[in-house]
Amino acid sequence: MSVANSPELMDKLLNGLRLAVTEMMTAMAMSEVVFAGQESVDAFSLTSEVVGLVRLDGKMHGMVGVSCSSALLREIVSRIVGLSPDELLMEDLLDGAAELANMVCGGMKTKAQIGDVNLSPPVSIVGQEYTAQWKTNRPTTLFTFQMEEGVLKVYASL
Amino acid sequence: MKLLTIDDSRTIRRVISGVGAMIGFEVLEAENGDMGIKVLENQGEEVALILLDWNMPGMNGLEVLKLIKADPRWMHIPVMMVTTEGEKDYIIKAIQAGAIHYQTKPFTQEEMASRIMEALGMGGL
Repeated sequence: MSVANSPELMDKLLNGLRLAVTEMMTAMAMSEVVFAGQESVDAFSLTSEVVGLVRLDGKMHGMVGVSCSSALLREIVSRIVGLSPDELLMEDLLDGAAELANMVCGGMKTKAQIGDVNLSPPVSIVGQEYTAQWKTNRPTTLFTFQMEEGVLKVYASL
Repeated sequence: MKLLTIDDSRTIRRVISGVGAMIGFEVLEAENGDMGIKVLENQGEEVALILLDWNMPGMNGLEVLKLIKADPRWMHIPVMMVTTEGEKDYIIKAIQAGAIHYQTKPFTQEEMASRIMEALGMGGL
């Protein structure tokens, strides 16, 4: 099913995604997050130091990606697990990026009540000077969230 | 009494371990269903509650739940699903398979502590 042909479902998904990010940051990371806007972008192309990706398959298809700086991810994960940012290992950052994407995508799916859609195991990338790109002709929306320690971006191609 | 968390995310396992410690429980950790079953084979008698993720590599949480509930050694241990899957169909499937509680992610530490106490019949916090 193409969500692009159903503006009502697309709205439910995008609203669900926005709420899921806010809820995740408030509940798990005890961080204030301010929704700073959303825009349509030409490509699903992520270049931040940290990326977490989850693919949706089933009744509908798509990809959701969460991206931010390594410093911001370190801060978020440290708040979630209760360790100092300096104590976190690369494994913690990789898992943290994956789990953020997983929770955002799961929250979006639950809030939109879309049913019969499976979430892929999350993919995470932590590094520099790379571009993660998903070749798609689906419309892509970029959400920006402002946190005290930096900017969190969420891409959704649905 | 110990808790067992079966979740492929080390982030979530750490959070649950922290919550468990906060309310006085040691938490055993397993990163997939097979490892969870091995923990039960070795220390099942000490496990008071299992906290089980749904989406994991290998067996998913529902398959693990069915295995646990089919085994006379562990079928009495209460299981709480802890998952990003919050839709009704998932909840119904889990309850039908024997889960007694269903907690969606994300959650606050206080929520999780309260749900654990409830699941153990010790009342919420």
